[in-house]
Amino acid sequence: MSEFALLTLLIGALGLVALGIGGLVLSRNLFRVVLALALAEAGANLLLVLVGFRQSAWGAIAPIIESGRDAASLTPSMVDPIPQALVLTAIVIGVGVQALALSLAIRAYGAYGTLDMNALRARMETDIDSAAGTQPARCQHAPAGGRPLPPISAGARRADTPGTPA
Amino acid sequence: MSHSLLALVVALPLLAAFLPPLLPGAIRRLLGPLALLLVAALGVYLWRITLIEPVSLALGDFRPPLGVVFYVDSVAALFVLAVALVTLLLWPWRGDTSENLDRKQSLTLVLAAACGGLAVSGDLFNVYVFYELAAVAGYGLAAGGGTAAARVATFRYLILGSLGSLLALLGITLIYFRAGTLNLAHLADLAPQTLHDPFGLAAFFLILLGLGVKAELFLVNTWAPEIYATAEARVSALLAGLVSKLALLVLARLLVLVFPLPEARGALLILGMLGMLTGEFAAFRARDIKRMLAWSSIGQLGAAFIAFSIPGSLGLAAGLAIALHHLLVKPALFLLAERWGGGLARLAGAARRSPFGAALFALFALSLIGVPPLPGFWAKYLLLSGLAAQPDNLYLLAGLVVLVTTVVEAVYLFRVIGMLHGRDAAHSEKPQNMALDMTLPASTLAGSGAFAALLLAVALAAPWLTAPLARMALQMNDSAAYVARVLPATATSEATK
Repeated sequence: MSEFALLTLLIGALGLVALGIGGLVLSRNLFRVVLALALAEAGANLLLVLVGFRQSAWGAIAPIIESGRDAASLTPSMVDPIPQALVLTAIVIGVGVQALALSLAIRAYGAYGTLDMNALRARMETDIDSAAGTQPARCQHAPAGGRPLPPISAGARRADTPGTPA
Repeated sequence: MSHSLLALVVALPLLAAFLPPLLPGAIRRLLGPLALLLVAALGVYLWRITLIEPVSLALGDFRPPLGVVFYVDSVAALFVLAVALVTLLLWPWRGDTSENLDRKQSLTLVLAAACGGLAVSGDLFNVYVFYELAAVAGYGLAAGGGTAAARVATFRYLILGSLGSLLALLGITLIYFRAGTLNLAHLADLAPQTLHDPFGLAAFFLILLGLGVKAELFLVNTWAPEIYATAEARVSALLAGLVSKLALLVLARLLVLVFPLPEARGALLILGMLGMLTGEFAAFRARDIKRMLAWSSIGQLGAAFIAFSIPGSLGLAAGLAIALHHLLVKPALFLLAERWGGGLARLAGAARRSPFGAALFALFALSLIGVPPLPGFWAKYLLLSGLAAQPDNLYLLAGLVVLVTTVVEAVYLFRVIGMLHGRDAAHSEKPQNMALDMTLPASTLAGSGAFAALLLAVALAAPWLTAPLARMALQMNDSAAYVARVLPATATSEATK
């Protein structure tokens, strides 16, 4: 593999990780969240494999000893096999976790009838509060007992704005 | 002396987790507790021998740095013992159906095996695998609550946990790229030349954030209140008591062996302070017991992070004391909250129905606040004296944070105690509340009573425990001994140079 190809792959791997984490943070649909997770994990796994290429051996070959080849003479030109063993483990773990995430998403959809993360979270909070017998927590956007201060009228706000002559 | 016994720490619980489907009913139910008892006995044995000298085991006789290595010093041995004992005390004896019970017991055993593995692992990738194993078992147990809310909470936990594992994997990749090894002893040997630069620190921060998800580190702990409010009390107790401590132990080991840098310590200190402030103030505002305990456990773990950020064996001793104290107290409080789980107003007069339960709650609360004869006081005393000995002002600020949050902690815990002993106002006004039975079942009382007995035993034995604790911290801080034990060849070659 040429150095250029390696560099492309490296940028691609980091890009996948960035895309995946971005998707994980920004998506609201549960299925998209799982897909974003899969993307990010693919990027991380690719990065782990690429680490096996050492600077002295950009043109390295697969670490397989075939019959008729001398193992000792091949060693310097081989890719480091340890990351490849590690990445197998990481891939298997990733697949298992993604399957578990999908099954939980299906169960959540079955119970609440939506895949929207914010809606699901609101329903979950309501369920927790009603099970505990407490009032939902108040916040500035939707105060339960009214605002402590009356809302500022549009006219007053305009008069307060700096820069406009009173 | 053969140390192949070390492998049993992981192998026994895993065997007991996956064998039962092949066995007849009577033996099946006993296999798990039996395996845990054996691991506990092994933990006691290992603790006794490792107080003199740590032991290690190269699995399959592949010599490190090539093979997978287990390393047990007295700290790891104590955590092996704690994992087995706490899992045994929180063992799920009953389930809705036989099949459900089988699943719960298997997952609990997998969790115990993974936690034991985290304690003894001497290899960064093995840490990652055991961490994932503990995570997946934790997701299964948390979703086992059966309600729809529990499933949504578990999904959110799983996504955050997977993001954490991803960051940890990236950090491990960076470390392997720089150092070419993942063996902790080999890394400790190579770190000064290869990892003590911004690149290595980036790897440490990635791993800190990644493993911090389970250790309820500030920024990545939003799952805790949701999970602890929806999961069964036993599961919350396992996650808050055990899994968080093992993640903390791994991070502390990494900090001591590979990254003993002021920047790494500073990150731990600042995130710990923020976690402590946010956790304790959120607990102050919480309206139901389960979420109050969840936020307070975030605060307590923040204190442990602060303690581990103090350089030297003093900080390690304080961190171990806080972590072990929390390991005893928080599971017991979650057990008590199983029946008392509702809003705080519902608790009015509950002390009259189960006075023993209320007395236990008061005991654990007093220890958590740090009232002198109880172990919580000694933990906080070690932490504060360690912080005060540091010249840096940031450490003094951390001491201030600890003192302020202790006051907050006292206020919200005493509020609950007052509520427990208050008049039955809520009950007389709202007759529908009478349907809720606030009497604690005998099994809950027995479980948290056992934790209370352990706590009181520690309180009575405190004068004799300071020396072993100091010794454990010294041993954990001695990275040269770690390298010499795991890599005898490297050590001797350097000595002859």
